[in-house]
Amino acid sequence: MAQAGSIALAGRTPEPASGRLAQAGTVALLAGVGLLILPPLLYLASSAVQAGTLGALSIGSLAGLALTTLALAGLATVWAMALALPLAWLVVRTDMPFRNACRWLAVIPLAIPSYIGAMAYITFLGPVGSVNTWLSSLTGSHQQWLNIYGFWGGVFVLGLFTYPYIFLLVSAALEATNPSVEETARSLGESPLGVLRRVTLPMLRPSILAGGLLAFLYALSDFGSLSLLRVQVFTTAIYHQLNTRFDQAAAAMLSFVLVLITLAVLLSQRALMSRRSYVTITGTARVARPLPLGRWRWPAAALAGGILSLSVFIPVGVLLAQTGSLEQFTDVLREQWAFIRNSLALAGAAATLAMIIGFLIAFSAKRAKGPVGAAISGTIQIGYAIPGTVLGLSLILLYNTYLPWLYGTVGTLVLAYLIRFLTQSVQGIDAALAGINPHLEEAARSLAASPATVLRRILAPLVRPTLFAVWTLVFISAMKELDATLLLRPAGFDTLPVRVYIHTVEAEYAKAGALALLLIAFTALPWLVVTRLRGKKLV
Amino acid sequence: MQKLQALIYASLIAAALLGPTVAWPPLPAEAASDRLVIYSGRKEKAIKPVADAFAKQTGITVDLKTGKTSGLANEIRMEKAHPRGDLFISTESGIMEMLVKEGLLEPYQSAATKAVPDDFKSATGAWTGISGRARVILYNKNLVPEKDAPRSVLELADPKWKGKLAIAGTRERTSLAWATTLVAVKGEAFTKEYMARLEANGLKVLTDNTEVWQGVGRGEFAIGLTNSPNYYLAKKMGLPVGVIYPDQEAGGLGTPINPNAAAVIKGAGTPEAARKFIDFLLSPEGQRILVGQDYEIPLIPEADPGEVLPVKSIKRPAVGAQRLAELEEPTLKLLTAINPNW
Repeated sequence: MAQAGSIALAGRTPEPASGRLAQAGTVALLAGVGLLILPPLLYLASSAVQAGTLGALSIGSLAGLALTTLALAGLATVWAMALALPLAWLVVRTDMPFRNACRWLAVIPLAIPSYIGAMAYITFLGPVGSVNTWLSSLTGSHQQWLNIYGFWGGVFVLGLFTYPYIFLLVSAALEATNPSVEETARSLGESPLGVLRRVTLPMLRPSILAGGLLAFLYALSDFGSLSLLRVQVFTTAIYHQLNTRFDQAAAAMLSFVLVLITLAVLLSQRALMSRRSYVTITGTARVARPLPLGRWRWPAAALAGGILSLSVFIPVGVLLAQTGSLEQFTDVLREQWAFIRNSLALAGAAATLAMIIGFLIAFSAKRAKGPVGAAISGTIQIGYAIPGTVLGLSLILLYNTYLPWLYGTVGTLVLAYLIRFLTQSVQGIDAALAGINPHLEEAARSLAASPATVLRRILAPLVRPTLFAVWTLVFISAMKELDATLLLRPAGFDTLPVRVYIHTVEAEYAKAGALALLLIAFTALPWLVVTRLRGKKLV
Repeated sequence: MQKLQALIYASLIAAALLGPTVAWPPLPAEAASDRLVIYSGRKEKAIKPVADAFAKQTGITVDLKTGKTSGLANEIRMEKAHPRGDLFISTESGIMEMLVKEGLLEPYQSAATKAVPDDFKSATGAWTGISGRARVILYNKNLVPEKDAPRSVLELADPKWKGKLAIAGTRERTSLAWATTLVAVKGEAFTKEYMARLEANGLKVLTDNTEVWQGVGRGEFAIGLTNSPNYYLAKKMGLPVGVIYPDQEAGGLGTPINPNAAAVIKGAGTPEAARKFIDFLLSPEGQRILVGQDYEIPLIPEADPGEVLPVKSIKRPAVGAQRLAELEEPTLKLLTAINPNW
């Protein structure tokens, strides 16, 4: 319907047939997405309502949990922003040394699953970890200097491994924003810092909010690292109800509260976004002249190096030490190649589907302004908030009961990944589309360009960096997914994270280390390829 | 340049679209009479060699799904409408009793299961113990001289161990089984007071047993309560650990042995293969492979224990699995009231 509206506005090209087709396509798309995400949500809601009680939980402990969970996710997001924003700005807009290397290294932490990051940091900063042992031998006292366990450890680790969500979207947006706005501000006598504060940051707000939201929701739904770091949050409490007490009702209740919290977060983000309009892109994707840092070049590089040490070099170093020898890699590659292939095929399929569907949804939602668009992208976002274990169990019940031919195939895994990660694609593309001046399209339409031409010639080139970014994001998330995969994988069909998990549980650390490194390498691979090609201006 | 660019685009798009299709791994075959699906909470290291030997001997394909016992049990419950697994192997019997209560297991008794002592199998034949792990006190030899190591779990409440103790929370079913056994033998009031004293003594409740034995091995804790195979694992890694099988003196409590158990899932596609596998697990060859892999205690008195203590030399409290299952919930309440980390 929105399609038809804008066509009528353009006036010249009615194209009734293709217009109706597009409309039907939009409706089918939205119905498909609804059928994908709503059933597990409704199932959760109905089990929660049926339970009607909190089981063994009291309201007080529930409030405590909510408080800890929100504080942890909030602080982790702030920490992630503190890492991501300076890094993105330095890499895209300045002449900092090694900025190209930093650019692709900065995304590597996303390829490190947070549970693996947490394990590495426990080895490094745990009570008997490398650093404490070293400090004790240095001073001769057995005092415990640093302790990664607990709330602050959780904040530290989650921020470290989620900041690339913000970095990716913000650096893509920085690239896509027209530097002439900033240059004009400079020429009008604004200081570099003033430009940053008054021009650049406001232009980046949609991307910062979208990236921050991804980091925040990740922290809300993370189970692996927080359980390792012994923090009591919603996800660990849900796990406890499910796997110790076998109390599905209490678990559903807790999950439902978590979903409601997510909903509240999403609504407030929406309110923040709608207050202002952010149309800034006028269509040049010209690269800005890098700002000369002068004598600040090396301090800037040191800052970037520090961030990358914490989030990449230290965890990878710990894993290398854990692996021990090169043969471990060749052994693992030979023995477990089939599992690596499983992971790549699954994550690739999920990423491609999520990119295509995400683009179509963001495109239709943008046109379906108002509550419909908001409801669709909101629904998709909530999928991200259902803890993996809970999602896995609800999909088992739903698919095994109603779609038994689908359940037990890898198709279930692809759908689970879409439910969890489609929002990364929709949000990213949405943010990019939000920055495109609608007059551009209208102008093209008035020049008798068909919607397809507008899409291809105008929108696609402008959102292309974002399309690469979201494909990579979803690929990375799907490569790392563990909780739902453990439950939903067909027997005999393991993925890389499942293998890392199994070998870790069985205390085969060398193997687990080698597999974790392979997981990181394969997860990062597409990102590396795309950035190289883009560096050479080939895509 | 334009051409090269177009080529790169075409190949990127082709890779994104076709890559997953071409690389698509062969799907596991649909349920066939010669395919056995095992849901296993036991370590892959322990079960896979048995499964391989079984497949070789019988020609039956075995697909293994390894995970946490509790997670797989939840899966079996959710899959009730169309069961996907044929055989369930768990690390503890309480979960089996829960599944029995929900009618999810298919009883099976044979000559092989008869050889297993009664307290390691279901009274109705719903599940059978296949190997066991004793609850032990693990200590760090650098922090605790051998002669000072506690001989009874009750000694752990002594202030001299303050701040030096660790145990896995009830997320590890064997921890719950240990506490439940104590409730069964000594009563709820006694257990409550004992656990409160452990709490006052700074007992650290960790996520899993691996954290316990490694923490003790590295010296983070002087003493840990864990399962007997972990002692051998720690020793194999060269960690300075010693082990005590507690409360073995005449008139003492004894220490529980938790069975790993196997059961046929009700509605299994290939129940016959599942039954064959249980018999194979209990056969001398199956026991040799299973027990040899992971330092477990054979439950069949005649089986060769290898390196580990044989079952008959360990004094254990006589509490049936059904009784344990009944006491599980009150025990859990008692523990979490003392410390939510349990």
